[in-house]
Amino acid sequence: MAKGTNDAQLLVQSLRKAYAATPTSLKIIDLYVVYAVATALIQVAYMAMVGSFPFNSFLSGVLSCVGTAVLAVCLRIQVNKDNKEFKDLPPERAFADFVLCNLVLHLVIMNFLG
Amino acid sequence: MATSKVEGSSSLRHAFGGVLSVFILLLIGVVAFSIRLFSVIKYESVIHEFDPYFNYRVTQFLSKNGIYDFWNWFDDRTWYPLGRVIGGTVYPGLTLTAGTMWKLANSLNIPLSVETVCVFTAPIFSAFAAWATYLLTKEVKGPGAGITAAAILAMVPSYISRSVAGSYDNEAVAIFALIFTFYLYIKTLNTGSLFYATLNSLAYFYMVCSWGGYTFIINLIPMHVLLCIVTGRYSSRLYIAYAPLVVLGTLLAALVPVVGFNAVMTSEHFGSFLVFIIIHVVALVYYIKGILTPRLFKVATTLVLTVGIAVCAVVVAILVALVASSPTKGWSGRSLSLLDPTYASKYIPIIASVSEHQPPTWPSYFMDINVLAFLVPAGIVACFLPLSDASSFAVLYLVTSVYFSGVMVRLMLVLAPAACIMSGIALSEAFGVLTRSMKFHITKYFECSHTEAPAKLGESTSTESSAPLENMTKSDTTEKPEVARKEKVARRKQKKEKELTENAHVKPVSAKKEKRPLVLPLEASIVSVFLLIVLGGLYVLHCVWAAAEAYSAPSIVLTSHSHDGLHVFDDFREAYAWLRHNTEVDDKVASWWDYGYQTTAMANRTVIVDNNTWNNTHIATVGTAMSSPEKAAWEIFNSLDVKYVLVVFGGLVGYPSDDINKFLWMVRIGGGVFPHIKEADYLKDGQYRVDAQATHTMLNCLMYKLSYYRFVETDGKGFDRVRRYEIGKKHFKLTHFEEVFTTHHWMVRIYKLKPQKNRIRGKSRKSKLGSKSTSSKSGGMTHKNPWN
Repeated sequence: MAKGTNDAQLLVQSLRKAYAATPTSLKIIDLYVVYAVATALIQVAYMAMVGSFPFNSFLSGVLSCVGTAVLAVCLRIQVNKDNKEFKDLPPERAFADFVLCNLVLHLVIMNFLG
Repeated sequence: MATSKVEGSSSLRHAFGGVLSVFILLLIGVVAFSIRLFSVIKYESVIHEFDPYFNYRVTQFLSKNGIYDFWNWFDDRTWYPLGRVIGGTVYPGLTLTAGTMWKLANSLNIPLSVETVCVFTAPIFSAFAAWATYLLTKEVKGPGAGITAAAILAMVPSYISRSVAGSYDNEAVAIFALIFTFYLYIKTLNTGSLFYATLNSLAYFYMVCSWGGYTFIINLIPMHVLLCIVTGRYSSRLYIAYAPLVVLGTLLAALVPVVGFNAVMTSEHFGSFLVFIIIHVVALVYYIKGILTPRLFKVATTLVLTVGIAVCAVVVAILVALVASSPTKGWSGRSLSLLDPTYASKYIPIIASVSEHQPPTWPSYFMDINVLAFLVPAGIVACFLPLSDASSFAVLYLVTSVYFSGVMVRLMLVLAPAACIMSGIALSEAFGVLTRSMKFHITKYFECSHTEAPAKLGESTSTESSAPLENMTKSDTTEKPEVARKEKVARRKQKKEKELTENAHVKPVSAKKEKRPLVLPLEASIVSVFLLIVLGGLYVLHCVWAAAEAYSAPSIVLTSHSHDGLHVFDDFREAYAWLRHNTEVDDKVASWWDYGYQTTAMANRTVIVDNNTWNNTHIATVGTAMSSPEKAAWEIFNSLDVKYVLVVFGGLVGYPSDDINKFLWMVRIGGGVFPHIKEADYLKDGQYRVDAQATHTMLNCLMYKLSYYRFVETDGKGFDRVRRYEIGKKHFKLTHFEEVFTTHHWMVRIYKLKPQKNRIRGKSRKSKLGSKSTSSKSGGMTHKNPWN
C-alpha cells in the first residue's frame, strides 16, 4: 500500500513536471478548453436544478461549450510542434480553420437557441 | 539534363493526364445523365410512381408560396380529418434543392416549369454522384481507380432504378450527399485539416435534410473510428476527422424539424456519442503515454483501470436501464426491422407489406450490380495491399451495406456505391498490373531488337533513356544500371517466364524498393486486357438494357405490345382527371393508401389515407371499411365524410397490382386494430380466392362488390384475367353505392356514396322500432358506431 501511494505520488509529480514543460501557447489553449468544459458542466447542473424546458436552448448551450472545447483541442493538435504529422502546416492556417469552424458552429447555435 | 528533360516530359504527361481525366469525367457525367432518360423518350416527361407525386406537390407549394409558408405548412387535404404537418414530417432536402434550381433557372430567364425541374433533378444529381465517387475513390486508392469507379457508378442499374428521369424521390439527391459526405470524411482523415472537417459536417447536414438513411452515416463513421482505434491506427487526424463531426453534426441534425430532438434521444445516435467518449479517452491515454516514462505509464494504467472500471459499470448500468425501459429500446420501427428482420412482420404489418421492404432474391443482386458482384471480392483484396485508414473504411462500408442490402431490397441502393468503389479499385489494379507487364515486355522487346543495351530486369518500365518513369523505379535509375546491367546481359537469352525467379537474384540489388512489381507473360496480359474490356462491355450492355427495359416504366402509364401494335393504358390519369373536373373541390375521396399521393397531386381532392402511412388506426379504418359488407362500409365512410370511393381493378386487362390482390393486406391491417375482421373468414381452406368456392364474407365485402360490379357484362362469363378464373358472384346490385366512372380499360372505378334514405318503409322500420326501444331516434337509420 505504501508502495502504491508512493507510486501515485511519483506519478502525479512526473505528470506535473512533464506538463510544466509544454509551451505557454499550448497552456493557454488548455486553459480555454478547461473553461469551456466547466461552463458546460455548470449548464448541466443548472438544468438538473431547473428542468430541461426549453430543451433546444439547453442542447445548444451545452453543445456550443463542448464544440468549442473540441475545436480548441483540434487547434492544439495542429499547432503543437511535437506533432510530426502537422509539421508542414503553418499555424496561421490552423488558426484560420479554427475560426471558420467556430463561425459555422456559432451560426448553428444562434439558429438553434430559439 | 536528362533528369530535367525527364521531369519536363513527366510534368507534361501529368498535365496531359489531368486534362484527359477532366474530359473523361465530363463524359461520365453526360453518360450518367443520358442513360436515365429512357422513360422520357419512351413515354413522356412525367413523374413516376407514388412518392414522387407527393414531393412534386410539395415543390409546387414551395415555388408558389415561398419558404416560410412551406416551413409552417399544415396540409388539410390529406389524412382527413387529421391533417398532416408537412413542415415537420418531410425531409426538406429534395424539395429545397429542386425549388432552388427552379428559382435559379427562372431568375436567369430560362422558363423551366416546376415539373421539368422535378423530373430532371435525379439525372443531374446522379452525374454529381459519379463525380463524388471519383473524388472518394481517388482518396482511397488513386485517380485511376477513381475514374473507373465513377464510370461504373454512372451506369450501375441499382442506382438507375431509383434515379431515372421522373423518379423524383429522396434517394435522387441523398446518394450524392452520402458519397460526398464520405469523401469529405476520408479527405479529412487523410489530410487532418479542420477545414475539410467543417465541410464534412455541412455535407452531413445536407444528407440529414435529404433522407432518413442518414442514420447509416452516423453509425458507420463511429464504427470505422472504433475499428481504427482497435487496430492500433489511432492518430490525431482521426480525432480531427471525428470529434467536430459529432458535435456539429448532432447540432445540424437537430436543426432539421423531422429529426429534431431525436438526434440526441434515439438509440440510432447513441453509437456516435459512445465512440465520442471513447475517442476522448484514447486521445488522453496517448497524450499521457507521450509525456510519461513507460514504468510510470504502467502505474497510471493500473490506477485508472481500477477506478475507471467501477465508474464505467455504474454508467453503463444506468444507460442500459434507461434504454431497456422503453419497449422498442429507443429504436424506431424501421431501424429495428433492419436489425431484426422478423420484427416488422410480427408487430407492424404496414412496414412488412411494402414490397420494397422485403429481402432481395439472389437474381436481384445480379440484376442490380451485375458484373460488380465478381469484382467486389477482388477489390477487397486490393484494399488490403496496403491497408490504409481510407481503404479500411471502404471495406467496412462494403461489408455493412452488403448486410443491410440482404435485409431489405430497397437498400441495395446503398450497396451500389460501395460495390462501384471496390470494383473500380479492382479493375484499376488489374489494368495496372497487366499494362505494366505489357509495357515492360514490349519495351524489352524493342530494346533487345534495336540496341544491345538491356532493359532493366524486375522493374516495370524504366530504361534510362526514354521510357516513362513509374513510381517505384524513380529512386533506382541512378544506382542500379551498372550492377544490374551485367547480370541482365548474362540472362538475356532466357525465356520470359523465368523472369520472375530471376527477380529473386536481383533482389539484393533492388532491396531499396518497397515492393516487387508483378510482371506477367505478354500473351497472358494481352488476353487478360482483352477479356477485361469484354467484361466491361457486357456490363455496359446490361446496364443500358436494364435502364431501358426494366427501370424506365413510369407505372402511371402502362404499355403493352400485342400483334396489332402498342396499347397505352393511361387509366390512372384518366380517373384523376375525371375527379378533378367532375367533383367539388371539397369532396373527400377514399381509396387504399397506395393512391393517396397521386390523388392529392393530380386530382387535387382530399384523401383519407396516403402513402405516408403514419397513422395505423386510420389505415385500419379504411381497410375495415373495404372488408365489410356494403352497409357497414357505408357507415364507416359516411362517418369520415367520404363522398367518393376509388378502386383499382385489373381483371379486364390483366394488371396484376390491383386492389383485389392487395386485399388480404387490407384485411390484416384492419384486423390488427378491429378484431371483428378475421383473416380466416376471407380464406377458403387457407386459400385466397374470389371464384364460386370463395367464402360468403369474401363475396359480400365491399372490395369484391366494387371491383366486380357489372364485370359480367364485359364478356358474359366474368373471367378475371389476373386471377384466371371466373368470379363467384356475377349478378348483383349495389345498394349503398352508385357507380359514377369507370375508365376505359376498367382499371380505375369510382363510386359515389348514396345519400341515406329520408324514411324507411315497411318491414325494416317495424323491426328497428321493436329492437331498439332504448336508443333515442327520430326515424331514419341509426348510426352504429363501428368503433365499439
